[in-house]
Amino acid sequence: MTVTGQEIADYVDRVRGALADLPPAVRDELTEDLPEHLAEVAAETDGTLVDRLGAPEAYAAELRAAAGAEAGARSAFLSRRLDAARARAGTQLRALDTQLGPLLGQPSVSEFLRPLRPAWWLLRGWLAALVISVILGGAPGLLPRLDGSVFAGLVLLAGTVLASVWLGRRSAGLRGWRRQAVQIGTAALLLFSFAALVTVDQRASTDRFGSYQEISTDRRYDMIQDVFVYDEQGRLVTNARLFDQNGVPIRLGWPTCPDGTGVVPPPRYVYPYCPEQAPFAPPVPSPATPAPPAPGTVTPTGSAPAPSGSAPAPSASTSASPTATVGPAPSAEPTTTR
Amino acid sequence: MDTTQLLKGVLDLAVLAVLKDEDGYGYDILRRLREAGLEEVGDASVYGTLRRLFAAGLLTTYVVPSEAGPHRKYYALNAAGRDQLARSGKTWRSFATTMNALLDDRGMAA
Repeated sequence: MTVTGQEIADYVDRVRGALADLPPAVRDELTEDLPEHLAEVAAETDGTLVDRLGAPEAYAAELRAAAGAEAGARSAFLSRRLDAARARAGTQLRALDTQLGPLLGQPSVSEFLRPLRPAWWLLRGWLAALVISVILGGAPGLLPRLDGSVFAGLVLLAGTVLASVWLGRRSAGLRGWRRQAVQIGTAALLLFSFAALVTVDQRASTDRFGSYQEISTDRRYDMIQDVFVYDEQGRLVTNARLFDQNGVPIRLGWPTCPDGTGVVPPPRYVYPYCPEQAPFAPPVPSPATPAPPAPGTVTPTGSAPAPSGSAPAPSASTSASPTATVGPAPSAEPTTTR
Repeated sequence: MDTTQLLKGVLDLAVLAVLKDEDGYGYDILRRLREAGLEEVGDASVYGTLRRLFAAGLLTTYVVPSEAGPHRKYYALNAAGRDQLARSGKTWRSFATTMNALLDDRGMAA
């Protein structure tokens, strides 16, 4: 053997260089085995590779032509690979068909499915009626309706079922684009009806809680986590209690203030729960500020309602809409939030 | 008429045909083609054709280690390749028959 590995590597490099305009994947695909192949050639003949095979650039041009890989031919090359993958998938599917057949007591799965085809035709007719009724503006349900009429829906159902059975009995003889049209139509039908059935299922499973939702509290206050009360001077009132006109404590938010330690302190039913998170001013440093009996301003947080006006600190003159009395003694007069 | 032009169209068929009865490695396949009379076929054409047929799923490969020389990559027809060979063979025979008849009709010597 007169050809060295180095000579082969150089030759391969020059061939790859001449194919540099091809997409890298195609070029790698083409030259993947080239070193081994050239080693075979070198082992069989005397003389240098260039003597045997010509210049690497000419070799590359011939290779390119033979492999059908023109510079812009990536898609053709890929589509061939796609065809190959499809052929392989088909073979595997057929193997699986016969392998899984015994599980169903038949030589193959397709033998098991063949007698079930009329059942599929009926199902397809029903799905088609559902999809038609949804497309015509009906609400998704298990029975098709036309303009809310169940009778018209049943007529439609009978029509689509008959059409589906008719199509099923004839589709075996269809070829070419007709066959493709049936396949594409069936796929679209399955997709649509799956979406429709998911909607039906969601409605069926949420209806149970419908009555519960109706008596739920005003949603505006669902988002409230804490309540901050400010007095006339804009100072934060701590340990405030809220009551409605019947003297029932108003409970908003979650009566605890989780600190970073992960330890949840016991619940306290005084506002604010977390004085450190006051939106406008730090808590008053003085030890105990008994809430003045004068009406103050309640500023719920959580849904972040900005106080009316542009003043950074709320005052009595710019009171926000939900007003309530602040103080130990409830009065019967003020507006309440419940 | 330049036979390399003709060869381009039928090299696939020729390569599939020489692999019909016996698997072969690259240089071996080239030698079989040349022994069969296709002397103008180039090494790069055969190698490129093998890569393309392999990518198209018509061939399988396996490596045979060799003590003396380099390892050899053998190519073999799979079911799809045999199928393709049968179909292309029919196409070629019918095409050749048509061409022969065309030339015969005009009194051209074989």
